[in-house]
Amino acid sequence: MDQTNIESLCHKLKSQLDCTFDLYTEIRNDDTFVISPDQLKVVVAMINEHFNGIHLSTITAQQREANAEVIEVMYSFFQGVGFSLMISLPTKAPEVTSIVSIIPGADFYEREVAEMFGVKFTGRRETPPLLLPDDWDQAPPFIRNEVNND
Amino acid sequence: MVIRKWIKKTYRWAQKNSLWVIHYNTGGCNGCDIEILDLLTPRYDVERLGIIAEGSPRHADVLLCTGPVTIQTSDSLWEIYSQMPSPKWVIAVGSCSNTGGVFHGSDTVLGGVDKILPVDLYIPGCPCRPEAIIEGLLELRERITENGPD
Amino acid sequence: MTKISIPIGPQHPLLKEPLSMKVDISGERVLGGSLRLGYVHRGIERLAQKRNYVQNVHLIERICGICSHIHTTTYCHGVESLLKVEVPMRAYYLRALMCELERIHSHLLWLGILAKHVGLDTIFMHVWHDRELALDIMEEITGGRVLHGANQIGGVRFELDEAQVAMIRAGVEKLHTQVEGVLDVIENEPALIARTRGVAPVSADMIKKYCVVGPIARASGVDVDMRRDNPIPPYDQMEFSVVTLPDGDALARTLVRVYETRESILLCERILRDIPDGPVSTRVPRKVPAGEVIVRSEAPRGELFYYLRSDGTDKPARLKIRTPTLAALCLLPEQMSAIQVADIPVVLAGVDLCVACADR
Repeated sequence: MDQTNIESLCHKLKSQLDCTFDLYTEIRNDDTFVISPDQLKVVVAMINEHFNGIHLSTITAQQREANAEVIEVMYSFFQGVGFSLMISLPTKAPEVTSIVSIIPGADFYEREVAEMFGVKFTGRRETPPLLLPDDWDQAPPFIRNEVNND
Repeated sequence: MVIRKWIKKTYRWAQKNSLWVIHYNTGGCNGCDIEILDLLTPRYDVERLGIIAEGSPRHADVLLCTGPVTIQTSDSLWEIYSQMPSPKWVIAVGSCSNTGGVFHGSDTVLGGVDKILPVDLYIPGCPCRPEAIIEGLLELRERITENGPD
Repeated sequence: MTKISIPIGPQHPLLKEPLSMKVDISGERVLGGSLRLGYVHRGIERLAQKRNYVQNVHLIERICGICSHIHTTTYCHGVESLLKVEVPMRAYYLRALMCELERIHSHLLWLGILAKHVGLDTIFMHVWHDRELALDIMEEITGGRVLHGANQIGGVRFELDEAQVAMIRAGVEKLHTQVEGVLDVIENEPALIARTRGVAPVSADMIKKYCVVGPIARASGVDVDMRRDNPIPPYDQMEFSVVTLPDGDALARTLVRVYETRESILLCERILRDIPDGPVSTRVPRKVPAGEVIVRSEAPRGELFYYLRSDGTDKPARLKIRTPTLAALCLLPEQMSAIQVADIPVVLAGVDLCVACADR
């Protein structure tokens, strides 16, 4: 898969989903599509079907600055060339559908984002802590660091 | 009197010449662990000093700790130490188990091994060379000869 | 028979690192298992935000002692991309030389551990003795056996002179002979083959569903290698073959890694033949301009993913690391179902656990 295929994927997604989404080109080496959280499951299902099994590299979450109102979650894929999907969730109550039913390999990545940022993934079994201790009673670590300017 | 002294001397000689070690990584990067495993291989061969690596704490004399102590491993570290029969010794191998090393200041790292256990010997290095670990074990043998087991 | 749950870990003779598993068994059959990670979680991504880019090279090298060089290589490559500096080609070749030596040492280490788990201690002793050759070469050129400090932002920290090149060539040639001997044993030793053939086969579909990478994927016929598919220089200029096998069982996972070791030895020889002259590093500013970059590279265990965001200061705003062992651990509970209890060490060894990498 190369650049022309990224564009044809973009075109296919646009025409079949009948909505607009932006191409965010700030991230070097990976073309990134910005979509809304409601479209996530549909888009991932389409990508998975289009490539007959897509490889998910990881799910990355971050806040752009301290006390930011949104958490950005980026799903990075690789099929000959890397590309990503980016969604924005509100920091106060971040919630998004899980993609584990489409790509079972996303399980650990979702659990890590859930415990580090407090994101709730719906439509899957509970997200037990992956890396943090069971008795972690403080705020999600990444949110706390940004707020406290540690 | 003479017989008691002779028995003590023999006991110490037997103790120091057959130190069985158990190795526990409490959260390290593996650098010191693979150097400890290297001791068992033909180039360094600590078995000629009577030292074997044991799997169960109940058969071991010396606990070799590597890595900083994380919140999650602190309980199991104490359990292993309490399961070892007396006399027992604890050796902290590497900068991380001495002081927390490069991970000092992390919110999931408690620090060096001496935060949980009484340490008898500190071996510095990042990672510790096998020669340094052998030097440490020989130092321990000297202490047993002079002071006897605690 | 009644179902029993056996805990394995966090301290266990099988495990070199703390990891907790609960394995459900009934008689001699394993029904399934579950994992608990996080014992080695040191919060490296958060620590990296508090230190500057130069200090982070030291920190990132200590994520994992076995694959330390590829971590710093990937990180430095990311920072250099953001800085838009041109790193000398000689530095790239020296980095690749260390990467391949590290792959050799990691695979030989793994092979020894597998042999120990299976009960063939002699192979463990021989292979780890051969591994010392690779460590000697790394120590001669960088000063460190296990953690090298070879990389810096802008290039590498070491240079090779004529005597060292001759020493490396001799060492690599000796390694080649030794590894051919090891391969001969692995391919023909009936005990090892009996313990590993047909154990826990994984299909290519399962690999794709669970997004597994590295030698485990290649042993099930999935042809993926970041050195070829998404190359960092100088891999875009070098020829090498990617080994895949179709069976997907523990024997295939063993053979793939030994064939890869042989391929890495050939790559070392090619690197020494083709390495250009020139400087080994370039000066870089301390502050990195704002930007984001994703870098993928091939660690000994598979695809290593780094995401780095800079906000214009001298400290990273966000560093995200996804190590290959995390992807492989996702598959472990599935592999644990429908094997025998005696196969647990073989399956565990086949994953090539590096929990320090997975937990960060």
